[in-house]
Amino acid sequence: MNSSSFASRTHRYQLANGITLLVLENHSNPTISLSGYLRAGEFFNPPDKDSLAGVTSSMLNKGTARRSKLEIAEELESAGARIGFSSNNFTTSIGGQSLSRDLPLVISTLAEQLREPAFPTEELDKMKQRFIASIKEDQDDTRSRAYERMSQLIFPLGNPFYRLPAETILSQLEKITADDVREFYQLHYGTEGMLLVLVGDVAPDETRVLIEKHLGDWYGAPKKAIDLPETPLQTEAKRELVPMKDKPNCDVIIGHASRLRRSNPDYLAATMANNALGQSTLSSRLGLKVRDEMGLTYGISSGFRSGIGDGPFTIGVTVAPQNIDPAIDTTLEIVNDFIANGITEQELKDEQSSVIGSFKIGLATNAGMAGQIVSAELFELGVDYLDNFPSLIAALTKSEIDEAIRKYIHPEVATTVIAGTME
Amino acid sequence: MFTKITDYEGIAEYKLDANNMKVLLVPRRAAPVAAFMVVYRVGSRNEAVGHTGATHLLEHMLFKGTPTYNKQNGTQIAAVLQKQGAVFNADTWFDRTRYYEMLPSDQLELAVHLEADRMRNSFIADSDRQSEMTVVRNELDRGENEPSRILDERLWAMAFREHPYHHPTIGWRSDVEGIPTERLKEFYDVYYHPNNATAIVVGDFDDQAALDLIAKHFGKISASPQPIPPMYTTEPKQEGEIRFKLRRAGQLGLVEIGWRIPHARHEDTAALTLLDHVLSAGVTSRLYQALVETQLAVDEQAQSNQFVDAGLFTIDVTLRPSVEHAAAEQAVLDVVEKLKTEDVSDKELQKAKNLILTQMIYVRDSPFGVISAIGEAEASAGWRSFIDLPKAIETVTAADICRVANEYFIEDNRTVGWFIPKEEVEEVFEQEEL
Repeated sequence: MNSSSFASRTHRYQLANGITLLVLENHSNPTISLSGYLRAGEFFNPPDKDSLAGVTSSMLNKGTARRSKLEIAEELESAGARIGFSSNNFTTSIGGQSLSRDLPLVISTLAEQLREPAFPTEELDKMKQRFIASIKEDQDDTRSRAYERMSQLIFPLGNPFYRLPAETILSQLEKITADDVREFYQLHYGTEGMLLVLVGDVAPDETRVLIEKHLGDWYGAPKKAIDLPETPLQTEAKRELVPMKDKPNCDVIIGHASRLRRSNPDYLAATMANNALGQSTLSSRLGLKVRDEMGLTYGISSGFRSGIGDGPFTIGVTVAPQNIDPAIDTTLEIVNDFIANGITEQELKDEQSSVIGSFKIGLATNAGMAGQIVSAELFELGVDYLDNFPSLIAALTKSEIDEAIRKYIHPEVATTVIAGTME
Repeated sequence: MFTKITDYEGIAEYKLDANNMKVLLVPRRAAPVAAFMVVYRVGSRNEAVGHTGATHLLEHMLFKGTPTYNKQNGTQIAAVLQKQGAVFNADTWFDRTRYYEMLPSDQLELAVHLEADRMRNSFIADSDRQSEMTVVRNELDRGENEPSRILDERLWAMAFREHPYHHPTIGWRSDVEGIPTERLKEFYDVYYHPNNATAIVVGDFDDQAALDLIAKHFGKISASPQPIPPMYTTEPKQEGEIRFKLRRAGQLGLVEIGWRIPHARHEDTAALTLLDHVLSAGVTSRLYQALVETQLAVDEQAQSNQFVDAGLFTIDVTLRPSVEHAAAEQAVLDVVEKLKTEDVSDKELQKAKNLILTQMIYVRDSPFGVISAIGEAEASAGWRSFIDLPKAIETVTAADICRVANEYFIEDNRTVGWFIPKEEVEEVFEQEEL
């Protein structure tokens, strides 16, 4: 076990083409975990092609100029190695895992997939079918339906947190062509602002040589700025139902625009406030009352979707139809009391030790460390954030948290959506 | 205090002399965290009609407190664990109930104390049972929302008529609603004893210090006053294919097929485990190629579900919209038939083996991965299978795969279920009514 700081143990390499490479050694197991991103997320979708970023990232492992999807998969699967791509609101994530001896295979394959994707039409057709099926499955899920509707009621069309109706997404998806995918790739995939993090049984300098060899002379598209206006808070409360068949369990979502981004100086105070209110079904205020004491639900929790953008603040509760009103009323009572009286000193102390403990536990695995380093980089906090985080949490005061509660939690203008089979 | 039973590939087994509790220690000092788990050898396998779901409801009740850990004095179980940032929970399955905590290693004693305390001192109060019953009923409703879950529960209920794998772990709704608190207490008093449990510690700890903690907190608990009652119901041989259809609102059709297979300690477990990988691990797998690549399905999964008693090898298929159930089912059966007549290639076999063996190495990245895998092994075939099964898998040959395919994948031994979405018909009806 190494007790020196993450900042001092993490090797940082800045490649000439803009790739940032961070390497952290952990030789306890002969494995590596790869994580990272390119700046090619859903934010960059053209207005009439909502799924294009997602389709493009999913097509990266469907064949290259040199090899078919199957040839590549055969090689990776034979080594028990994995490379994956997925799109988020603002980035396209890269993930991977392999035995340390297979690192060269992972890096050369990753480079081949990023630099020479073929986007074959027949693979695109199959991919679109999978997207369609997954959208249909979501349409069958009460929570997704409630969340989708809430997002439409509180965010303007075009905002990355606004979810288009499924029919619209499906009809746009049908029209996406291989040329659209190629165009998106050419416009948005590039090394400027790209991050790769490797944690595990690796040698830092050798890793740099490997990355330089396979990706050092790739440039691609230049990095594009993300300019996103803040979504204002709603001005009145709303309530809507999404009726569905054969769903004995309903999902309720109560939400509003949060105006909270990771870059806000009171971000940690706001998330700490949420921890006390509703982060855990088993031990936060909402769960202790609505689940533990009243037995109205299996799950209730709240949270901010904050990152580069200001997503919603939501409270979600899963409930039988006859318990919808008691669950909502009790939830609002608890939230209002929390706003009026703030966090207690005891809650603050408990949440501080909880967050610090849970941070330590999260850093117990290669993937956990890689994930934290990726977040720290994405939000421009620096790797030393991993070392400073416990003291930042310990320094938070009741007045800072109470102020964040009043600033970011507004049930009086929240939108409530209920999805399920209601009698 | 302890009798050392064995040291096997980095896992030390002890017996706590005071009460015969089994203890497994797996030191792993990669990070300053420790995981603790207590596995009880009781699950829905130990239930019958009238008290189905009792084990699961009891598991919920074990979070409701003891004289030491309770809400009244500010030491509620979830709260004290949450305060340490612990990852913790409990769950119930056919053969076992497990309680676990992963926490900073200097807090290991909290987990050990808490688990020892609730092993015999839980309140199990009637008022708590009433509120927790509605929580579980909501959990049950949520499951009923998911077509794949309902189909799977029906499949097991059809494939097992007499054996308790027939009923879902969450229980039948009316049993969950009606079970008296006294019956839950009876369950607790029959099965929650150190001699019916295995305690496992994985992570950053010193062996002697961990043993001292376990002795301090579990050592004062006596073994069960009566022997733990055995479950003796066996399922007779299946004599012919079973088929059923389930029609409900939904979006995508599903097909699930289950073949009866032997218990986890059986020598064919290695071949069956390898076979599920040959069939469905990765895009090069046989089912992916036959179903997803051909656009009959959007997803497929094969799984060798092995338990203390005979289980099921299941194949699940999520149909692509507009594909007929019969077409997808036939494609699955064609894949399975081919396994009976043609050997899988050496390359294919080696690939499946590599996938399993690398997976075993990845598991070791996390203390929770290790404790979870050892706990599941312990609950079915015994903890040594965590080490021995991968070794057995390495020796499986193409002939073994062909043999088990011929032995188990036969028509008389299978149950087939179709989930048929009826969404479109109903929507038209609703519009007319409005």
